[in-house]
Amino acid sequence: MTSQQASSKPDPPSPSASFYDLSDDEEGGYNTITHTSTTRGVKLLYSKSKVYVHPTPSAKDNIPGFIALVQQKPAPLSPDDRPNSSDSSGKRTNAASYLLAWVPEASLAQDELSAYVKVDLKDGESPPKQTYLVPPPPVATSFEESPVGPYSFSLPLSSIYSIHVRPPSLGWWYGSIVVNTRAGSSLPALFFHDSECESTILQKKKRARESFDPFGESGELFWGGDEVIRWLKRYVMVERSTAEPSIYLIDPSEEDRLGFGQGRKSLEGKHQTVNPDMKKPNQKNPPGPGMDPLTKALKETRWKILEQLSKVTTFTRRTAEDLANNKNIPPQVRRLIQNPEIQTLQDEFDSAKLYLARWAMTIAEQSEREKRQRIWTARDALDSEETSVGDFEILDMEAGKMTLADSKRRPVNLEEWESFFDSKGRLQVTVDEVKERIFHGGLDPEDGVRKEAWPFLLEVYGWDSTEEERHAYMNSKRDEYVQLKGAWWDRMIEGAATPEQEEWWKEQKSRIEKDVHRTDRHIPLFAGEDIPHPDPSSPFYSPDGPGTNVHLEQLKDMLLTYLEYDTPPSPTTSSAPHYQTRNPHPQNLGYVQGMSDLLSPLYAVFQDDAVAFWAFVAFMRRMSRNFVRSQVGMRAQLSTLDQLVQILDPKLYVHLQAADSTNFFFFFRMLLVWYKREFEWSDTLRLWESLWTDYYSSQFHLFIAVAILEKHRDVIMDHLRHFDEILKYINELSGTIELQEILFRAEGLFRRFEKTIEAVDRKNTFPEPSGGELRQRRPADDADGKNQDSSTSAIATGTGNPSSTAAGSSSTLRQGLPARPRQAPAQQAQKGKAKEVEKRAEQVVTPELRLLLSRKIITFDDEEADVAKPRASGLKD
Amino acid sequence: MSPRKKVLLKVIILGDSGVGKTSLMNQYVNKKFSTSYKATIGADFLTKEVTVDDRIVTLQLWDTAGQERFQSLGVAFYRGADCCVLVYDVNSAKSFETLDSWRDEFLIQASPRDPESFPFVVLGNKIDLGEERRMISQKRALAYCQQRGQMPYFETSAKESINVEQAFEVIARNALAQEESEEYGGDFSDPININLDQERDGCAC
Ligand SMILES: Nc1nc2c(ncn2[C@@H]2O[C@H](COP(=O)(O)OP(=O)(O)O)[C@@H](O)[C@H]2O)c(=O)[nH]1
Ligand SMILES: [Mg+2]
Repeated sequence: MTSQQASSKPDPPSPSASFYDLSDDEEGGYNTITHTSTTRGVKLLYSKSKVYVHPTPSAKDNIPGFIALVQQKPAPLSPDDRPNSSDSSGKRTNAASYLLAWVPEASLAQDELSAYVKVDLKDGESPPKQTYLVPPPPVATSFEESPVGPYSFSLPLSSIYSIHVRPPSLGWWYGSIVVNTRAGSSLPALFFHDSECESTILQKKKRARESFDPFGESGELFWGGDEVIRWLKRYVMVERSTAEPSIYLIDPSEEDRLGFGQGRKSLEGKHQTVNPDMKKPNQKNPPGPGMDPLTKALKETRWKILEQLSKVTTFTRRTAEDLANNKNIPPQVRRLIQNPEIQTLQDEFDSAKLYLARWAMTIAEQSEREKRQRIWTARDALDSEETSVGDFEILDMEAGKMTLADSKRRPVNLEEWESFFDSKGRLQVTVDEVKERIFHGGLDPEDGVRKEAWPFLLEVYGWDSTEEERHAYMNSKRDEYVQLKGAWWDRMIEGAATPEQEEWWKEQKSRIEKDVHRTDRHIPLFAGEDIPHPDPSSPFYSPDGPGTNVHLEQLKDMLLTYLEYDTPPSPTTSSAPHYQTRNPHPQNLGYVQGMSDLLSPLYAVFQDDAVAFWAFVAFMRRMSRNFVRSQVGMRAQLSTLDQLVQILDPKLYVHLQAADSTNFFFFFRMLLVWYKREFEWSDTLRLWESLWTDYYSSQFHLFIAVAILEKHRDVIMDHLRHFDEILKYINELSGTIELQEILFRAEGLFRRFEKTIEAVDRKNTFPEPSGGELRQRRPADDADGKNQDSSTSAIATGTGNPSSTAAGSSSTLRQGLPARPRQAPAQQAQKGKAKEVEKRAEQVVTPELRLLLSRKIITFDDEEADVAKPRASGLKD
Repeated sequence: MSPRKKVLLKVIILGDSGVGKTSLMNQYVNKKFSTSYKATIGADFLTKEVTVDDRIVTLQLWDTAGQERFQSLGVAFYRGADCCVLVYDVNSAKSFETLDSWRDEFLIQASPRDPESFPFVVLGNKIDLGEERRMISQKRALAYCQQRGQMPYFETSAKESINVEQAFEVIARNALAQEESEEYGGDFSDPININLDQERDGCAC
């Protein structure tokens, strides 16, 4: 049906018709055309862009090109070049006149290139109606002989023996094909970078749109290599080997079919030498399509899943359970299915889209896990595959360090911790050494070392204190805690000074109560209910049974005590001997949601309310800016995050801009309570202790945010177009994020950021005469934008992304907006000027970004200076 | 023409923290009540496909943090709402008294074309706790709703699943009516918006 569509809408002759796009009618026959280089043109039937040769394991050496099917001369038997599918003998005679070719992008002249691009983007299964003639690709039966480049080839189909097809799957991010000639050699593997290939992306999207079916005919994920097989099938016999489903035999003779086993072996050998990076068979799962568990699971469950997605009514919980218990399904997918929200996904708007986005992530994750293993074991496999985000650069930079750091990534246990101190309990190593260890290794969760170390990390204790000093200090703090607690307790009994105060305290108390009862109830400490609720007026009170437990009550008391500590004494306070807060800077925050989330891990670790309380006070020194009425702290962090993404990943930033998502609101929850809702309990503790070290930056939590975003950037860019989709996707990452990996990425991102700032500073000190773009990233990035001034090649790169710099992109975007109809010229001039200023401003690192390099914690007082006036609103808080 | 062929109705649920917004939504969409929902931080939404007068529509129900000070940051998603649900707890006078502020806040932030006719629905939740705890009588709530342009009013329990279906049916109906009236108004909207939409749909990259 697609072919019909295509043929019913023939392209009108292009006004700029060139040699390369003459129509059949105009052309009147092949021999009337001669190419400028005096060779006869060949007819370009199909082409696909972004098919790479990976000559070395390094992604830098990858060569982009086109795979194409061309027709050498008119078919001798029929004037119609479109094949007659039922006539297989015709196919045979034709096999010699069709060539399968691969040509590097760089070898194509501009006109040629545009012909290749046009044919690639032709929508439809049959070759274009209009004839595109291109110079014949170099005829070479093996790549060594090719005149154009060492890897380009073009082979008559008659001399192709078989094609080894390896779809993208577990560990094989890019699908590939290897052409095996009748002469016995194998051509270099061709890797289909589907995520860059515009026509494949369009086809995938079309499938997803039309049927929610991202899979190809054979039940596997649709990918570029399928297309090639489909092309060939139109002209020659293509037989899939039953013994080796990854081998397709081309025009096989009976003999070929029998001798196939040997052919396969020689192919394997060749393959290995061409692509050393590909030949690292996983011990447990030998590579190969149909063999890896994910593909298998995909096949087996595909219909069930699709049914689940599209067939709302027939879906039952039982189906979900069957799926969830199927051992063949990778654990991530199983977890996905078990998630109750996913179970209702079939009801959801655009559910399939989100689901597929997640599915894509699962596959990416698998492949990444494998990559990472390789990174840690074999350095040279590091940039075997290219990713657009420059992940590998991060990893590259870090790889040496990471392998070294393995021993430093062991958690610090009590014994090691104690070895940091002398007999008087004074630190005998440097603070930085301790912090470095904890930043990378964390603390042993089992042996109680957290109880010892956290008060230091939170700066309840000075790093230079002695055991004795700490003891004395905590004793006095215990007293202070008891007094503070007594103060509100008294007030509760005696009543507050004014009715307003009375009302305020009552309300605060009920807020705290509500939240404590819904905080971390899955943690055994807070789960049970075994004592009666002390307050009969509470909604949690039950006359006939327990309504709370002692730890919940402790949390409530501590939060009320914090309120007491943080609320400035009112001038009308009664003369009763109330405790006057010794807090020099009460912020009068009141109880705010999220505070209970920050307190509960402290309490759970210390299991001592006084210590936990002072640790909380210390923690709140950095966190209180998240809770102030004006929300200036949250705004500042979201805006810094915005700038950070702009500088670290301009392409993603442009996408987020287009998706109306640069408010970064979907990180609100993560920043507010430091990822408590995203990570498992134990990971949260581990993350917090790393963050408390301020080892790289007191704002390292923002790099965690970027790391999470970067991990999902391809999925976001490929699948998610709107704010709501992105928000939902990010929200649902909760419980799926792997902490170690994110810490690792965040560290790499920090270093990259640091380098970028250094580079900017250097440039500002010694400005370049030409005033080059500061935000330009790395040479690697320029590579795909090297022909930016030529519009043809911008299309050919397949991304269509006009710019790789944030500065450039944002102004492009702005230009892209429709101009307001009645704009005075003067205004426009001013606007131009504004852009100038903006550009210049961008060459200076903003103070917000520079602050990210500082290890000094940012407190609310720091931000008070530029407090935005709270919005006028009827809601008082 | 629209990239989303189905009708998407955006509904914003507002009200003080703890009145039961998250619970109501989950009761409606997932048919269950849990005492272990965490306090909402930031914003999230659930979606549900329903049929209104033979039309299949998708409700996108936005749940937000109830604490007032978080409202100022999260207003991005008020825009384009088709209906606003105001929830209070019948056992808390305070939560009833703040309904006006929530309503005003919404109208300021969402700035619907015609604030007068914008549909609100009021839910008095937690009626399962019994009459002796009740602070706001049905009569008082009805009078209030009557005064504010006859907002539909339901007394609900997310816990016992009382009146939840009925309430959301009316919410969906009102939202759809609002969406349709906006569509007519759309013909007169300024050209800039139209262009922006095209840009958003047209991007094939
Ligand atoms: N008894 C009763 N409790 C409810 C009801 N709805 C919610 N709750 C409880 O009220 C508290 C707050 O509910 P939640 O849905 O989180 O409120 P939100 O802050 O408005 O989203 C939780 O402890 C719920 O279990 C209800 O209908 N009846
Ligand atoms: Mg909630």
